[in-house]
Amino acid sequence: MGKGRYLLKRFIYIVFVFFIISILMFAIYKSMPGDAVEIMLGSSKTTMKPDAYAALYEQTRQRLGLDQPLPIQYFAWMGNMLTGNFGYSTQYKKEVIQIISAPMMNTVMLNICAMIVVFLISIPLGIITAVRKNGVFDKVIQVLTIVGYSIPGFIIALLSIFLFAVKFPIFPISGLRTAGMDAGGLAGLGDQLWHMVLPVMVMSVSGIGGITRYVRASMIDVLRMDYIRTARAKGLREKTVIYVHAFRNALIPVVTITTWWIIGLFGGSIVIESVFLIPGLGKMLIDALMQRDFSVVLTMQMFYVILSLAGNVLMDIAYTLVDPRVRLEN
Amino acid sequence: MNMQNENREVLLEVRDLKQYFPVKKTKLREKQRYVRANDGITIDIYEGETLGLVGESGCGKSTFGRTLLQLYPQTHGEVLYHKDGQTIDLKAQSKEEIRVLRKDLQLIFQDPYSSLNPRMTVGQIIGEGLTSHGIYKRGDPAMRDYIFKVMEDCGLATYMFGRYPHQFSGGQRQRIGIARSLALKPRFVVCDEAVSALDVSIQSQILNLLSDLKEKQKLTYLFITHDLSVVKYISDRIGVMYLGNMVELAPTEELFNNTMHPYTEALLSAIPVVDEEDKRERILLEGDIPSPVSPPSGCKFHTRCRYCQQKCKDEVPEWIDVGNNHYVACHFPLHGKKG
Repeated sequence: MGKGRYLLKRFIYIVFVFFIISILMFAIYKSMPGDAVEIMLGSSKTTMKPDAYAALYEQTRQRLGLDQPLPIQYFAWMGNMLTGNFGYSTQYKKEVIQIISAPMMNTVMLNICAMIVVFLISIPLGIITAVRKNGVFDKVIQVLTIVGYSIPGFIIALLSIFLFAVKFPIFPISGLRTAGMDAGGLAGLGDQLWHMVLPVMVMSVSGIGGITRYVRASMIDVLRMDYIRTARAKGLREKTVIYVHAFRNALIPVVTITTWWIIGLFGGSIVIESVFLIPGLGKMLIDALMQRDFSVVLTMQMFYVILSLAGNVLMDIAYTLVDPRVRLEN
Repeated sequence: MNMQNENREVLLEVRDLKQYFPVKKTKLREKQRYVRANDGITIDIYEGETLGLVGESGCGKSTFGRTLLQLYPQTHGEVLYHKDGQTIDLKAQSKEEIRVLRKDLQLIFQDPYSSLNPRMTVGQIIGEGLTSHGIYKRGDPAMRDYIFKVMEDCGLATYMFGRYPHQFSGGQRQRIGIARSLALKPRFVVCDEAVSALDVSIQSQILNLLSDLKEKQKLTYLFITHDLSVVKYISDRIGVMYLGNMVELAPTEELFNNTMHPYTEALLSAIPVVDEEDKRERILLEGDIPSPVSPPSGCKFHTRCRYCQQKCKDEVPEWIDVGNNHYVACHFPLHGKKG
């Protein structure tokens, strides 16, 4: 019936889907080749006596709970996850929560900056090009956006490194901190932002291309509507017609693409993080996969699962905010 | 009624109004061609009258209404608006001046489903024009009372104030559209097929509502429709349009009883009659309406006119006054033929 009940329903649904996906994930990682204990013990195999190694192996296996049947392992893992214990990284020999928080901060910060840049540029640009449809400015922007949208991120990354770091050395090309710098507070933040300029720029390019085109198309659709003519006939100022009447309606389809794009940003920064050597989630996931560091991989996968499930609900709620015709029912 | 028109004050003077729309070029060096939606219309609209405008689909009726209100940048001609002894040439006004004048010159749209912004409540839709023209300040409690009054006048219950357009039926939406335009206390309202999208029972309700409001507020209507029975019911005078031109203009009774243009004759013969005795001849127009991009030479109607002569193909007929406020553009007007 009401909003509350609908959201409760969605929440239950999310929990259900979450568990199903977690079982699938767990099964996939369990069936992958490679022995976590062996990796953890590393070079001990070659340096220790075989029977001492076998004892240590068995001991470690028990300590990690890997001797239990799979369902019990699953419940143990799930129980730990739900209580905030994400497991132990075999690669870093630390708790996952400890090694994951710093890269997550970096990735989130990078993405939020990129998002702000994209919205600040693409929404006004989309509106202006729609209003001046088929003008010279519009045509130039149309070409630029399709170029920006079509070129893969890593090419833009390499090009911008070549331009802004090699030809004209303005920005640093890698990492998030100047090596050896140990300043906290504002200076540290400034340094970090300075390092983020190039990656954020590169990440924004395709977003700006796509979302500008989307906003433009959506605005053009809306500007053709009869109620825009009504608004003009009422004698409203042209600004009110465009920004209040047209844009608020044009926002409706933009919400969908934006939500998915935001979710995509968290996974999509793997390439950019690798190119700019940023210690972020993307780089961490690749490293963990290479090292068969399953606790880390599983934790991150579950993070993405929650992100996209929550994104769906947020999208539904966003719809009700922008479109009164949408009501959250069943 | 005919004599009254002489004494009435002219509200809008339209002189040789032309509205051309460019056709998209298909070849690079092609000459720019135009759709001649309105091709030289001259008419006076008197204060307090209802002028009906009829014609086939695509003959330029709606364009005429919208061009009058300067919703399209008019190509040629003059629209003179008389207000408080002043004569205002609408074409010469700046955007901001036109915006202010829109308070007086309103429009009711054809489609009540698409002409209301789905994201605004009824209260916002009606109130927005009021604040934009400075009649009320935003958030003024008196505005709410005024909107309630307008809604009641237009047959809407006040509890509908906070609802969105999608929660209403077609008839109710059309009332919202009417309330919206009349809230500004306009002097001239273009009703562009204002009842065509509604079913017949609702049509008569809305028509009665429009007539009542006209009496109360001394409005002038330009009533655009393709439905002759509607136009006969509501209009003082009727103009008939064909392919961008006015072909006949007369007071309602006169037009029906003393039809002069062959096109009007054909239109009127198409009105269904119930009376068994009245066995009128149905005149069927052959072929389609010609393209307004390259209209026929001479009289534009000659391709479909059953009285067509050589002169009709060569010469453009003049817009002549035949007395009794009756105007016609035809080389061989029909005379005394009772509809």
